[in-house]
Amino acid sequence: MKLVGEFYAYLWPGATMQEMMRYGNNCNSYLVANALPKNRHVLVDPGQVVNEARQNCLERLISEMKRDGFKIEDVGLIINTHAHPDHYGASESIRKMSGAQVAIGKEENEFLKLASGEVSKALKSMGFDMPELHPDFYLVEGELRLGQKLAADIMLTPGHSDGHISIYWPSEKVFMGGDLIFYGSTGRVDIPGGSAEALKASIERVAKLDIEYLLTGHQYGGPGIIQGKEQIKRNFEIVRREVFPYL
Amino acid sequence: MTSENEKLKSALEIALERAQKLGGMSSEEKQKLKDEKLESVGLALSKRYLKGLPIRDVEMELTKYKADRKTVVRYLLSYLVDGIDMNEPDTAERILEAVQHFSGAPTAEKIRSIINEYQSAMKQAWQKSQETLGAAKIKELKQMGISGSAVMPAIETSAEWQRTKQKLNSDYKKRLDETKLLFQAL
Repeated sequence: MKLVGEFYAYLWPGATMQEMMRYGNNCNSYLVANALPKNRHVLVDPGQVVNEARQNCLERLISEMKRDGFKIEDVGLIINTHAHPDHYGASESIRKMSGAQVAIGKEENEFLKLASGEVSKALKSMGFDMPELHPDFYLVEGELRLGQKLAADIMLTPGHSDGHISIYWPSEKVFMGGDLIFYGSTGRVDIPGGSAEALKASIERVAKLDIEYLLTGHQYGGPGIIQGKEQIKRNFEIVRREVFPYL
Repeated sequence: MTSENEKLKSALEIALERAQKLGGMSSEEKQKLKDEKLESVGLALSKRYLKGLPIRDVEMELTKYKADRKTVVRYLLSYLVDGIDMNEPDTAERILEAVQHFSGAPTAEKIRSIINEYQSAMKQAWQKSQETLGAAKIKELKQMGISGSAVMPAIETSAEWQRTKQKLNSDYKKRLDETKLLFQAL
C-alpha cells in the first residue's frame, strides 16, 4: 500500500481483536522503494517467515509487495528496528532471495548473542524462538544516507529493547518507530532488555519531532499508521496520560 | 528401534565377553583396559573440578588410586587443558591453579604465557581487522548506496574475521595441546 512518495506500508492484520486472533502475531513492514542504486529497495522490519498461528507471513509480504510492483529479489537493504523475531525473523530468508545487506542496532546484536546463550530459555518461555541473524553492519545514532538524495536519522530509542532503533525521514516527515509507540499504547517493557523509564524517555524525545506519518510496528487493535500532526500529537498525549502511569 | 536394541545388546554382550575373558587377557589388553578406566576417572574429576570441586577434595579422591595416582593426574590435567577457553580468563585461571598444584609453577606459567600471547594476538588482529575490514566494508556499502555516520560495519560477523579468528584459535590450541607432553614427566 502506497503511503507517500516512495514509502509503502504492509500492515499485518490486527486492526480488530478478531483479526489479531485469526492472524496471530507479526509486525508491520515498510518499504522505501528505489532508495538504492539500480532501483533496489529498503525494507524495514521484514517480520517472520511463519508465525505461531501458522500464517505464512513472508509469503504474504512478498505477494503484497508484488501487488505494488515490487519484487523481493530487489530488496537491497533490510533494517531491523530491534532483535525480536516478529520483526527480524525473515531477514536471513530475504537475504538469500535478494542478497540484501542486513542491519540492526549495535546493542541489539549484543542481545542476540545473549539470546543464543544464557537467556535463551527465558525468551523461549515467553514465546520467543530466536532465528539466526548475521548483520552486515550496525546502525548507531546518526545519519543514514541512501543513494544520491535520501537521508534518514537513525535514533536510538531504547525501552522496548535495549538497542531499539527508530528511523526518521525528515524529507517526508515519516517516522518508523518499531515497537516504541502504537495507537493508544506502547511497546511492552517486560521482555529482557526492556525498561519503562528508557521507553518513556525515548517517547518524549520522539514527541518533539515534526512527524506527519507515524508508522508503528503493530496494529494491536488500532490503526498501524497514525497520520497528521494533530492526530500524532493527540496520540502522544493519550499515551503520556493513560499508559505512562502503568509502565 | 530394532537396530537400537541390537546396538545396546551388542554393547552388553561385549561387556559380558570382556568380563568372561578377563582371565584370558594378555597383559597389554589388561593394561589397556586399566588405562581406559583411569582415563575415565581423570575425565570425571576434571568435570567435577570445573564445576567447583576444591583441590583438596580432588586430592582426597586421588588417594583411592595410590600407585595409579600419577596416571589419573595426567589425564585430569590433559582434560583440564582441553577445557581452556582462552576467551574466558576466569575458567582458565581456575584450570591453571590445578596445573600449578599438580604439575608445578613452571608448567602453569608456560600455559599462562600462551594464553596471554593469544589474547594479545587476538587484540592486535581485531584492531587490524577493524581498520582494514571496516574500511573495506564501508567502501562496499558506499558502492551499494549506503553511507553516513550511522553506519558501523559488523566486523565480528564477517567471513574474513571468522577465518582470522579460527586460524588464531587453532594455532594456539595446538600450542596448548603441546603443553600436555609436560604432564608425561609427572
